[in-house]
Amino acid sequence: MSDSKYILPRDKGAAPLDFVIAVMAFLAALALGASMIADRAAMGWQSGLAARITVQVLPPEKSSDPRGDMMREAGAALAILGHAQGISHANILSDADTDALVAPWVGKEGLTADIPLPRLIDASVIPGEKVDVEGLTAQLKQAAPNATLDDHRSWIARLGTLADTMRYSAYVILLLIAGATAAAVSFATRAGLDAHHEMVALLHQMGARAGFIAAMVERHYFLSALFAALLGTLLAAALFLGAGGLEVIGLEAVPFLPPLSLKWTELPWLLLVPAATALIAWATARISVLSVVRAIY
Amino acid sequence: MLAPMVRFENVGMRYGSGPEVLRDVTFVLEGGSFTFLTGLSGAGKTTLLKLIYLAEPPSRGLISLFGQDLAIAKRAHLPPLRRRIGVVFQDFRLLDHLSAYDNVALPLRLAGKRDYAHDVEELMAWVGLGDRMHARPPTLSGGEQQRVAIARAVVARPDLLIADEPTGNVDPEMGARLIRLFGELNRLGTTVLIATHDRSLVEATRAKEIRLVDGRLVELRAPMRVAL
Ligand SMILES: Nc1ncnc2c1ncn2[C@@H]1O[C@H](COP(=O)(O)OP(=O)(O)OP(=O)(O)O)[C@@H](O)[C@H]1O
Ligand SMILES: [Mg+2]
Repeated sequence: MSDSKYILPRDKGAAPLDFVIAVMAFLAALALGASMIADRAAMGWQSGLAARITVQVLPPEKSSDPRGDMMREAGAALAILGHAQGISHANILSDADTDALVAPWVGKEGLTADIPLPRLIDASVIPGEKVDVEGLTAQLKQAAPNATLDDHRSWIARLGTLADTMRYSAYVILLLIAGATAAAVSFATRAGLDAHHEMVALLHQMGARAGFIAAMVERHYFLSALFAALLGTLLAAALFLGAGGLEVIGLEAVPFLPPLSLKWTELPWLLLVPAATALIAWATARISVLSVVRAIY
Repeated sequence: MLAPMVRFENVGMRYGSGPEVLRDVTFVLEGGSFTFLTGLSGAGKTTLLKLIYLAEPPSRGLISLFGQDLAIAKRAHLPPLRRRIGVVFQDFRLLDHLSAYDNVALPLRLAGKRDYAHDVEELMAWVGLGDRMHARPPTLSGGEQQRVAIARAVVARPDLLIADEPTGNVDPEMGARLIRLFGELNRLGTTVLIATHDRSLVEATRAKEIRLVDGRLVELRAPMRVAL
């Protein structure tokens, strides 16, 4: 009703309530954003590793030409990988690449010639395709007895556990904050309604229907919670965008760690926070008013 | 013949598990009547009025309002009944965040009326509040607040007017003026019931008087239509 603004207190004295709601929305938006980042990171790690298969070919121990045999077995293994189902391409790491890999441990001098290092074959898995690891292993055993296939399964499993832990922790934190927000919003709304108790009772006595009184009051709380929560959420969104800005100006994100920012396209998800907050305030106001009116007769 | 406005049959009332405040109260208010309710402080006048204006249900007995038996009326049927009753509460119950004018206009707004400014202003001038319309209740004197409460109760021309000590805070002159306002309304068809301590008010009119003694009702004067 257009007249509700004349009936409800204009100077509602609800600044603390709006402040509490804005702060809780800010925290909830941070938790939601963080859980999205954790989620994305966990997915990234798993898919990145799962997309590679590495075959390591060792130089045979009892051989007059370990390096030659090793290169032959590497060639055979490469051929097998090249024809395997689900593998897009495979290549043998060059001496230089292998050197680069071990350089951190043994220094920059070329060691490949003196101490034969194992050859590594790096194969990429077509995204979404399953590779028959058992079959490949059996085939390799035949053609290249000194080759071992590593599909990073144990790594992936451990990283997966880590990622899942991270993801679920984020969910739990999100849930806790959402619960605290819901409680704070409904508590604050009820406190605000105490100030309106007399008015609610009087309107009821004057013959206003419970639904009418509730509609008037709940709209007021819905709107003020919506604006307060939007403010808090916008602040959180600015923070996430700002974190992205840091990377742009050269404060490079730590490699391997997920970027701490959200993309523009991910930001709309944060709007769930003010929407849920406003709904909670609305429902609390409605339930409170109806129960006040019901208690009167 | 029309059903009476208000009918009580053996009505009893107690608050919670407290003593019975009203006992075996039986009476009738005919449509268009003007009645005073008297009794000592604590006799149960306000309690009786609350039962009529639907603020409390009775503990026992039968009440019918506008011909409707309240015992069988559903909750949803009560708001329209309440809208037909104007109430001057003993403690006024004005909304402090609204101006005197907005308090008086409240029943009209709830009824969805639009062009009420003239009516409200005229009525407020009549009760001597023409220059206090935009003041908030806390800044008004007790008597001024009482007149705002009275204006609010009568502004929508209710079928039934219930006034609890409506002249308790005003001088005799203003008291007589307010009673004249109620008489005016009564002439237009409103049934009026006024609870009061003020003997002189009752003596000055020849209206019917009912009296509460020890929670029981005694009729002192035969009902009659009076010109006030
Ligand atoms: N809400 C309540 N809860 C419990 N007891 C109440 C309540 N309201 C009134 N009473 C009791 O009921 C009795 C009648 O009170 P009531 O207010 O009806 O008297 P009254 O005739 O209006 O008095 P007054 O002339 O002083 O206004 C009193 O003893 C009072 O203590
Ligand atoms: Mg009283």
